[in-house]
Amino acid sequence: MQEYKFQGQYHLRKVFQEDLRRAVSNLEYDLLVPIPVTDHTMKTRGFNQVTGLLEGLHYTELLVHKNKQKEAQSKKDRHSRLQTKQPFTIKQSSDLYGKTVLLVDDIYTTGRTLYHAAALLHEVGCNRVQSLSLAR
Amino acid sequence: MKLDELYGRRVLFPQVDSFPLNDSRLQALPTLRVTSKNIICLRCGTVSNKSVVAMPRDQYYCPECITLGRVSTLDKFYHVQEPNQFVIPEQILTWTGQLSSLQATTSEIIRDRMERHCRQLLWAVTGAGKTEMIFAGIAAALSRGERVAIASPRVDVCLELYPRLQAAFANFPIALLHGREKQKYQYAQLTICTTHQLLRFYHAFDNLIVDEVDSFPYAANRALLYATENAIKPDGGLLFMTATPGKELIHQIQQKKLLVSYLPLRYHGHLLPQIKIHLAFNWRKHLLQRRLPARLIKELRLTLAHHHCLLFVPHVADLQPTFLALQRVFPKIKFTTVHAADPKRLEKVQSMRAGKYQFLITTSILERGVTFPEIDVFVLGADDQVFSSSALVQIAGRAGRSLKRPTGKVNFWVNSYNRRVREAQRQIAYMNTKGRRLTNG
Ligand SMILES: [Zn+2]
Repeated sequence: MQEYKFQGQYHLRKVFQEDLRRAVSNLEYDLLVPIPVTDHTMKTRGFNQVTGLLEGLHYTELLVHKNKQKEAQSKKDRHSRLQTKQPFTIKQSSDLYGKTVLLVDDIYTTGRTLYHAAALLHEVGCNRVQSLSLAR
Repeated sequence: MKLDELYGRRVLFPQVDSFPLNDSRLQALPTLRVTSKNIICLRCGTVSNKSVVAMPRDQYYCPECITLGRVSTLDKFYHVQEPNQFVIPEQILTWTGQLSSLQATTSEIIRDRMERHCRQLLWAVTGAGKTEMIFAGIAAALSRGERVAIASPRVDVCLELYPRLQAAFANFPIALLHGREKQKYQYAQLTICTTHQLLRFYHAFDNLIVDEVDSFPYAANRALLYATENAIKPDGGLLFMTATPGKELIHQIQQKKLLVSYLPLRYHGHLLPQIKIHLAFNWRKHLLQRRLPARLIKELRLTLAHHHCLLFVPHVADLQPTFLALQRVFPKIKFTTVHAADPKRLEKVQSMRAGKYQFLITTSILERGVTFPEIDVFVLGADDQVFSSSALVQIAGRAGRSLKRPTGKVNFWVNSYNRRVREAQRQIAYMNTKGRRLTNG
């Protein structure tokens, strides 16, 4: 995972895809939603490590980062991560009422990321929000 | 970051961010070349299939040299052309040793070719004293204000070279670069590094020396060969050194792309001990019943009466059975086994050197670099494919290293007489023929 995410070896996504696919297939949902990365991460890492793992599955990139955060999540310490305000916004909120959403993240760190994302989805009317992360 | 860290180097930096330094000499260079089907890494030369290394938004990266930081189309290299900005001390060479007349002749040839920035090979037998022979060439280059590096594929060779070079060029700060230690990079006129570190340099060196070129992982690694070419200035010189040149180098000599100087005699002026072959059909099967070839035991006994020795076996799994078989034969003799991942490896080598062990049973890790004086050498299973012909020549070269006992026994036991064993014998015979010609005038 270190090699995949932080060294940027995008080809290693294939190694984890099978595990994730199996985990996803055991759950019921209407929408499969990956946690997004910042625009800066896209321009340095070059990929969203979560969507890389979801390749081949039908997913919806519903969430985006609100403002251009300079620092990536992983560079902050635990305390400052817990302090963070809602970092996400919804791309389009139509048709979300009553839906069951499965949120996917690559690494479960503080749970704050998933908490914020879930809170936002509940706000716009989603019925149930479940989450899944590949590694802790 | 200081600007001089970019002299003759390429530093990766994201295109989206602004580089922390501003200087008119700063150049931004591309990292990859993208063709219709492939991408070519400009750091290591690796060609990758576009579809394999594609990221979203038409971005690409090189999977080969990733441990030094990922090269991708999202980044640029920042580089400053090597300015040779050095303060040259008055006294350059602080080495006071003496070369033999044969060494001195070779040393002069090398110095002359380094001055003309030639591509050359020093083919010197094991124990010829090649490091001392390049001091004159390095000293002359440094006095001309040139930037010089000595690179080796092996960290242990770098670590061994560093104190010797630092003593010989005491007035120069030397940069020692290898992956095992996180030492901060320093711009220096003289650099010692692993060949892997050459990937970070770009048109830096006026003269580059690559020691032990035949050893892993350099010999067959295209990325490292590419990095070597890139690290030298376009008009720079290159000196390869080895006791056992592989096919590729010999081919380059034949094509006259590489000048060669031979040193077929050891520093003490004696020939290399030739390998003696003994057949030991199915030795491993017998070994499992704790039986070793009778001749091996006889030769070991003869050696151990007056000398110490190394007994090489092909695999780690062969160590213990060999140890047990010999324990029965030599209950009173102190010996042990050692291999690459052995946590007590350094300790055991040290004890062997101190004479606490009379012999070591070892895998090929002790094939080069490590010197025990006055030993004999035995190899059980020399025809196993783990031993390349150059490894076998290196192993044979462990014997007869000292002036007190310049000869020594080299005995190999094999299942069958194969190409690699024959090639090793041929290389030793070749150097000895040249050596004999020198001593006989
Ligand atoms: Zn590369």
